Amino acid sequence: MERREFVKKVGLTAAGSAAFPYILPSGRLFAKTNAELADHVIYVLFAGGVRQQESVLQQYLSGSQGVDIGGNIMYNMFNGTAPDKKIVYGTTPANEPTGSLPIPKLLTNTLQSQGLLFPEVEAVNGGHYGGLNSLLTGSRSLAQGLKVRPNSPTIFEYLRRHRGFKASDVWFVGSGIGNSFPLLNSSNHEMYGTEYGANFVAPSITFGNEGLDVLSNAKVYHPDEELEPIQKMREFLNNSFRIKNGEVQGIRNGEDEKENIKKFIREMFTKKQTGGLAGPPAGSGGDLRTLAYAAEVMKYFKPKITVVNLANVDGCHSNFSGYLRALHRADHGVGWLWDYIQKEIPEMAGKTIMLATPECGRNLNPNPIQDENDWYGYDHSGDANTRRVWSLMAGPNVPSNMVVGSESNQIGLTTDNVLTVADIFGIKDAVLNAGFVNPGSKSLFDRI
Amino acid sequence: MQIFKNKYILGLAVAFISLASCKKDVIATYDVNDVDIEDKSLIKDRSKSNKQFISILYTTLHQKAISSNQLIRTERVIESFGDKALINEVIVSNYMNSGNVVMPTNDEMRADLDTFITDTYKLFFVRIPTEIEKAFFVNYIEANPNITPELVYTAFASADEYQFY
Repeated sequence: MERREFVKKVGLTAAGSAAFPYILPSGRLFAKTNAELADHVIYVLFAGGVRQQESVLQQYLSGSQGVDIGGNIMYNMFNGTAPDKKIVYGTTPANEPTGSLPIPKLLTNTLQSQGLLFPEVEAVNGGHYGGLNSLLTGSRSLAQGLKVRPNSPTIFEYLRRHRGFKASDVWFVGSGIGNSFPLLNSSNHEMYGTEYGANFVAPSITFGNEGLDVLSNAKVYHPDEELEPIQKMREFLNNSFRIKNGEVQGIRNGEDEKENIKKFIREMFTKKQTGGLAGPPAGSGGDLRTLAYAAEVMKYFKPKITVVNLANVDGCHSNFSGYLRALHRADHGVGWLWDYIQKEIPEMAGKTIMLATPECGRNLNPNPIQDENDWYGYDHSGDANTRRVWSLMAGPNVPSNMVVGSESNQIGLTTDNVLTVADIFGIKDAVLNAGFVNPGSKSLFDRI
Repeated sequence: MQIFKNKYILGLAVAFISLASCKKDVIATYDVNDVDIEDKSLIKDRSKSNKQFISILYTTLHQKAISSNQLIRTERVIESFGDKALINEVIVSNYMNSGNVVMPTNDEMRADLDTFITDTYKLFFVRIPTEIEKAFFVNYIEANPNITPELVYTAFASADEYQFY
């Protein structure tokens, strides 16, 4: 072979190798590495800052207020008996003390008994945004600023890029638009970014009074006579402007996906007006509303992954009794969501893995703020207790009734969850090879 | 003496060349006016904020300013949804259904398509259309009797260019 020909062939091969991963129609950069463990994932960011003492350790008041009453107020998720004295964590019947009626247990078998519990996991970040970042990116998020997208790719981007999921396959249902939540649907990483981001919705606003005012009167255009001309004219205008999709803020769905999502929005307003929305029996406000709309998203789109973010327990800063009620309600909502998937969404029943983890814990010692019961509030300012959380997983291919680790034997990191979800969808090696995950993280399946 | 003469001649030569090289180039116009090849009005590289987008959109469609209360509510709704293009389309469609949008009638549009297209480009994109753009819309609207000003306005309001300035 002549030198010139050799150089030419080597050059072409190198160029081809470099370009090939980017021109795959699926957008996949690496080949799938192993078999999928489930068709769908529901990932609950059990957020707001949850102390181990009132959740997995089931100490109720004994681990916080110096009152010797323990018990389990999350009895849909964890095994254990509920407290029988000083009940403030329930709902409030008319003319009865606040929170005096516990919400009846929904699941016959707890999620713990159906699945795998890591009772003592290290939270790598003690703040809300940093903690949520870690749960979604698998990185420590140490240099992460507020009001900017995550620095490292999120699980949504990994799944869309390496697994080829379309935008409407990946959803992030947020508890609101504060705390930069809307920015968590994708990173600003140049190799990933909004092009691979998730559909984000904050139902309390999109389908709340503001959405009702701004969106609910939208016109339904005839698909051939009106919609198609609009799309053709817009396509011409966009081609003239020649701007890349990714440069427009936020993610973009395909035209068919867009029309389907618009139909979903209309359906939500109709259901809201006719009282046809799904929802947990104990109420429809706050986290329970977010979970209810997450159920509607899942029923309508059957997404590959749905991430839902809770937040109400953060009231613990100033209202410990309210925090107990929020924990109890969140447990009820998560139990209901699991039950709803199994009973009302046949396409996902028995094919969905649920994963739930708080983004951070809370301090060991209280702040001076007392609530209506003279109980003290707790912040999350970064002590060792703030770095203690749990992870719970249930569904196909997840061992049942298994506990890994204990209070004296911490096993797992919050950054494990991204690799766990990647493992479920068969792209764990691709995510590891991308090189952005916190060193030392593992799939929870590999921690057993 | 001879050396002095040579230096003198060399100095004169250098001075002459320097002066000659400082001469301004003559720009030949040949009686043709300069024309920019690139349309500067097409260069819009700054994305409108949600607040800018919604207040400009409302004013464009209603020919009056949006109230501050309505602006904040709409901005929050935009923030609550990930796909901005999609949610903007729904908002535009909501406005179109309100019956308060100021736009020409179908007859007025079809009576003078050239003017309608030029006015629409000015209204939404703050520029005049190129001949290709004008030709596309004139031909497209003439060939499709279903197209109304509302559909044209909807396409413009939801186009990428309208999100930039």
